Amino acid sequence: MLLRDLLYRGRALFQRKVMEDDLDAELRFHLDRLTEQHVRAGKAPDEARRLSRIDLGGVSQVKEQCRESWGVSWINALARDFGSALVRMRRYPRSAVVVESSLALGIGMSVAMFSLVDAVLLRPLPFPDQDSIYVIQKADPLAGAHVEELAYPELVDLQESIPGFEYVAVTPTSLYGYARVLETGTADPVQLEASPVSHDFFRVLGVTPRLGRGFTDSDEQVGAPPVVVISDRTWREHLRADPGIIGRTVRLNGQGHTVIGVMAPGVEFPRGAALWVPLGIVQRIVERRGATFLQAVARAKPGYSRQQVDRDVSALFTRLADEYPESYSSSQRGVVTPLVNYWTGSARIHLWIVLGASLLLLTASAISSGGLLLSRAVSRRSEIATHLALGAPPRRVLAQMTAEGAVAGGIAAIAGLGIAYLVIRSLVNWPPADIPRLSEASLDLNSFCFAAGAAAFVAVLCSLAPGWAVSRMRLESAIREGDLRSSVSQRANRARDLFVLAQSAVTFVLLATAVLLVLSYRSVAFVETGLANRDALTMDVSLRGPGLFPSQSFDTGTTHAFYSRLLQRLRKEPGVTSAAAILLRPLAGPIGWDIPYEFEFEAGSWDGKQRPKANYEVVTADYFETVGSPLLQGRDFDNRDAQEAEPVAIISETLADHVRSAGHTPIGHRVRLATRWSPGWMRVVGVSGDARYRSGTHSGAHIFVPILQAVQATRHVVIRGQRPRQELEALVQRIVREIDPSQNAGDPHTIGELIDRDTARHRFNVILLLWFGACAVILAVTAVYSVIAETMAARRTEVAIKSALGARRSRVVRDLVVRTLRFAVLGLVLGTAAVSSFGSLSLDVFRGTSAQDPIVLISVAAFLFVVSLGAAVWPAWHATRDCRRTLLRES
Amino acid sequence: MKGDLLSGIDLPQGTLDLLILKTLNLEPQHGWGISERIRQISREVLNVQQGSLYPALHRLERRGWIRATWGVSDNNRRAKYYELTPEGRRQLEDASASWQKLSAAVQIILDTA
Repeated sequence: MLLRDLLYRGRALFQRKVMEDDLDAELRFHLDRLTEQHVRAGKAPDEARRLSRIDLGGVSQVKEQCRESWGVSWINALARDFGSALVRMRRYPRSAVVVESSLALGIGMSVAMFSLVDAVLLRPLPFPDQDSIYVIQKADPLAGAHVEELAYPELVDLQESIPGFEYVAVTPTSLYGYARVLETGTADPVQLEASPVSHDFFRVLGVTPRLGRGFTDSDEQVGAPPVVVISDRTWREHLRADPGIIGRTVRLNGQGHTVIGVMAPGVEFPRGAALWVPLGIVQRIVERRGATFLQAVARAKPGYSRQQVDRDVSALFTRLADEYPESYSSSQRGVVTPLVNYWTGSARIHLWIVLGASLLLLTASAISSGGLLLSRAVSRRSEIATHLALGAPPRRVLAQMTAEGAVAGGIAAIAGLGIAYLVIRSLVNWPPADIPRLSEASLDLNSFCFAAGAAAFVAVLCSLAPGWAVSRMRLESAIREGDLRSSVSQRANRARDLFVLAQSAVTFVLLATAVLLVLSYRSVAFVETGLANRDALTMDVSLRGPGLFPSQSFDTGTTHAFYSRLLQRLRKEPGVTSAAAILLRPLAGPIGWDIPYEFEFEAGSWDGKQRPKANYEVVTADYFETVGSPLLQGRDFDNRDAQEAEPVAIISETLADHVRSAGHTPIGHRVRLATRWSPGWMRVVGVSGDARYRSGTHSGAHIFVPILQAVQATRHVVIRGQRPRQELEALVQRIVREIDPSQNAGDPHTIGELIDRDTARHRFNVILLLWFGACAVILAVTAVYSVIAETMAARRTEVAIKSALGARRSRVVRDLVVRTLRFAVLGLVLGTAAVSSFGSLSLDVFRGTSAQDPIVLISVAAFLFVVSLGAAVWPAWHATRDCRRTLLRES
Repeated sequence: MKGDLLSGIDLPQGTLDLLILKTLNLEPQHGWGISERIRQISREVLNVQQGSLYPALHRLERRGWIRATWGVSDNNRRAKYYELTPEGRRQLEDASASWQKLSAAVQIILDTA
């Protein structure tokens, strides 16, 4: 029934010609019979034909009524509306280009940002029931430690005392230091990120291998044959997706491992992991609560809520602090992060911000296009008014406006998808943005739906105002051109004022946010690093041997000897200015050695609780010079600081201030590390400038110890020279291999790259926001300009007469622009209020500045005011001149 | 036009559909035939606006109550014949039943009031 109806309408729509021909034939048949009847009644043929037409009631009217019976007339009207919208676009090509390009920009940017958010935040991770997986770490706010690592015994604590967890596993907090060289026997050795995990790890994630099996309890036992699970990517890239790989042996750091499983695709957790090996229950890990290098991941049983997890974990860590006061600070507490949040980290807020900003840009573009379409509608008001006067219902006029908006939105959506494609492509290929899964962003069905939604949004916004302004106007008022009191002008003016207000508010929010982010980025990226030599090259030269910790196979003596030979040879090379070594290079991520310390003057005052911690580093001579961290006082390490000499240390300015504030001189004062392997009191021989060694908010407290007096070996080479970095890189690699062919130097990054990587998310945001801000300013200028130009066009006569009567030009201009500017200023005020209310989310995002910073807000407002003023006065000034010349001549 | 009261009355709204369906109930017929038949059977009382017949036919066809086929007329010309569909037959029964009720009720009121 319904189907037949649809088929019929479809035929009327798509087989129009056949239907028309049939209708023609049918009516002709009727007319012919009527004519025959009249002829039989004795009429002349011509007269008979005329009479039969009268009987039928007008052929074309009947046809028109029949067509209406076909039920498709509204579709045809729609098609006509779209057609005439396109014609009008062609008739006003300049404004069409402006409208389409600004809308396409708005849609393109927001679609691109949406695709990023979709790929990074909205798409589920490859872990079933991902919301019941938690990452568990600790923090010690009083000691200034945002993240503290766990030790193996705490795994057992978590498993035994929290029944709400189905599985708990541990893995090192960072992949750093666990990389392994994979030799497959068929290809060149490659260095891959590896993660040691306890045996329930994959059960926590809820994933199963695509081939083979995961780890079991027995794989972890002492003396168990070494096994490895490889990621799907590793299997494809390095093992040629060999389906018979299970049970084969590959070499990792020279030691044979049996491949027991190939993980399901997409599982690369911890992020970047290419293979997993059992953590292994070696005695030194299992018993020592001080061996902190782990984080726990846990899967909660169904029904065990986030609040319960939080409560039970923090209760556990408080209890542990009581039971083991020698191991834990009493202020330690558990930090539970849902895996989803852990995975995206601070990228989450940054991405939401850019999406929000792009939506604001979309709104701004829709507003300015709506303004242009409004002007266009007002300019053909007499045509529309004639239409209305001839009996067209207002909804027909509205339908026309809507069609215009829909055409504008539709074309812009197509162009916008093109822009979005380019933007996504370039963002994905961006140098390290350090946002997980960003590379998976693409234009997919979701993006298309979003684009369609955005197009509908702009279509509505663009057609509402013009439609509202002109749909009810009267003929006489429209024909009295330029009459400000006419209803159309008043409505149009009100709509325009609202547009100016909204546009300037949106522009302000975008620009102010961009400026705040720039300031925050500046404070993160340039002021605080304290590492001036961005060109200094750092390389990972950890000595690797078999075993869980690849460096444990070498004693400190061997490593020292290796490094002293390496540095000696590097320093002798032509073009090398300086070379040094350090335990952990700056900005290697959130990892490092946080060691509790005390100065001599405060010795004993801590009583085992709430002791502050400092970043601990082992360095060689020349380190500070190489990275460009100034020595503010005292001396660098040198040959005097040998193993048997008095232990010495260099402290950072923050710590030196701490000593000075207690009335002591830092140089010559003594400091001690509160650890098992502490070398005892160390005399401070130097003070270095504060520098940033960890990401983000880490404090500036550092203690540097000379290599020969430390129990840890250095792991990174830092080198600087007047040669290109590729040559320096090759040089280090060559010399490392010459000293020991089984070792290799990898992961080269300059200090500049490390800083950039650390601030990549900020930079990513800043650059996008600046673009959005700039686009919004251009849109705002266009909007104000077009409003003034439109006003000018409407009030030409008035202006011309005023000028002719001797009104000063500046006075005339002022009359013209003051109304528009008043609304622009009102918009700025609204925008300021909006930005000030961002205060609550400013902690991480607006670092080193605040959303209420009056200087920023006032400067941005002043800038936008000046820009609007210029955009308003310029056309008005020019128009007043033209008016005097042309208009009076015309009349 | 033949507009005076004696020569014919205009159809009340909606009854044209009923008349068309009723006419087609006898046999398939073309538009001309339908209009002639209505005129003859009603003894020339009912004045079907010939022009309004066709939009009604097309509307009924769209609703699926009648079906159109091209055939050959008695004077050997191509003509568009309409016939009732089963759906249309049901519709005719419903519509004539309610028409009977309506006219009977109107009759009662006219008789008694």
